[in-house]
Amino acid sequence: MHLRVEPIKHDRDDQRVNESQLIARVIAGDRLAGRALYDMHAPRVFSLAYRLSGDAEKAREFTQDAFIRAFSRLSQFRGEAAFSTWLHRIVVTVVSNARRNEVRFGREVTLDEAHSIESSAAEAEPDLKESIAKAVNSLSEAYRTTLILHDIEGYTHAEIAVMLGVPEGTCKSRLSVARSQLREALAVFKE
Amino acid sequence: MDDDRFKEVIHDLPGSFNAPPPAPLDEMWRVIEDAHFNAPQAQRTSPGFLVNTPWLAAATLLIGIGIGASIPRARTLSKPQPPLAVTAASPDTSAVADAYRDQTNHYLGQAAALLISLPATDASRKADSSFANKASDLLVTTRLLIDSPAASQDVKLRSLLEDLELVLVQIARLRNERSRGDLDLIHQAVEQGDVLSRLNSAVATTQSSE
Repeated sequence: MHLRVEPIKHDRDDQRVNESQLIARVIAGDRLAGRALYDMHAPRVFSLAYRLSGDAEKAREFTQDAFIRAFSRLSQFRGEAAFSTWLHRIVVTVVSNARRNEVRFGREVTLDEAHSIESSAAEAEPDLKESIAKAVNSLSEAYRTTLILHDIEGYTHAEIAVMLGVPEGTCKSRLSVARSQLREALAVFKE
Repeated sequence: MDDDRFKEVIHDLPGSFNAPPPAPLDEMWRVIEDAHFNAPQAQRTSPGFLVNTPWLAAATLLIGIGIGASIPRARTLSKPQPPLAVTAASPDTSAVADAYRDQTNHYLGQAAALLISLPATDASRKADSSFANKASDLLVTTRLLIDSPAASQDVKLRSLLEDLELVLVQIARLRNERSRGDLDLIHQAVEQGDVLSRLNSAVATTQSSE
């Protein structure tokens, strides 16, 4: 069967490419369309992967893995949610699985790190930025992810609910708990 | 820390927590392009988590033992020893083919039973978990059958196995918290791929060849 692929159309501003056409072309094996779709979403995907992992090398690997998975499952994308939400759900899953494996197989904590974790609470005026990072990273995975997605990456609760596969109400309560724990961890800072 | 100060901290989080460096777009694309567009078709559709897992190796061993056990012993043990040159030149391929067909037939029957018994719209978490566990078990066999030399010679069976693998992955995920549409998506995938009727037809074919 010959698959007829329509040429890519541009909108009035000649900037936004029709995403569903691109998706159809990628499914048909068009690598230029793949690159176009990648260019539209990769910066945000990399940013999300970096926010969640805090490591440029890991973020690169997670981004690659997410796109490879997304491209291979494009035919399953039904358009019920925005493509970006569907794609970001894959990113979150990829990062979560990797973090879970890190925990399962025990990430090595160096002596310096251990010392810094223990002593941070005792410091008179620890650096606020560092303390925020430590406090966010010490949240449980579900709270941490929700906080990063909402307060840092700016997703709505509805989008986060789709990405994490949980009800919207769960996202809201997770965010509330995450903020509360973060605030508690930063209580040492008076001003 | 008072409310205003904390609000300020939250407001500043995008700039203060893991601010991302510029994305290495071209470098990442090269890897993605190689993996997706330059890879053979079979690799494009296989879920990554099925590869390189220790339990897959264990399952390979089990299936191998299963196939070995189902090869009629009389053909290999009770026959008088033929001359060495003849033994080396003529392995008992029909016994291996029989064993493969038996395994495939058994697997297809189990997969069909799972898909038929999948609830239409709603089910309890316990039922979800039971379906998910069954799907996980079948996934291992699916991947082994797809990778077997016999499947590479049977295009129709291979295509069915690949479609089944995607459906089974979705069912296996029911173990986790699921959204209300997940079952619908699974049923859609089954219907759109005409999976059940192809399964029935494959079962009929393998049974008639026995």
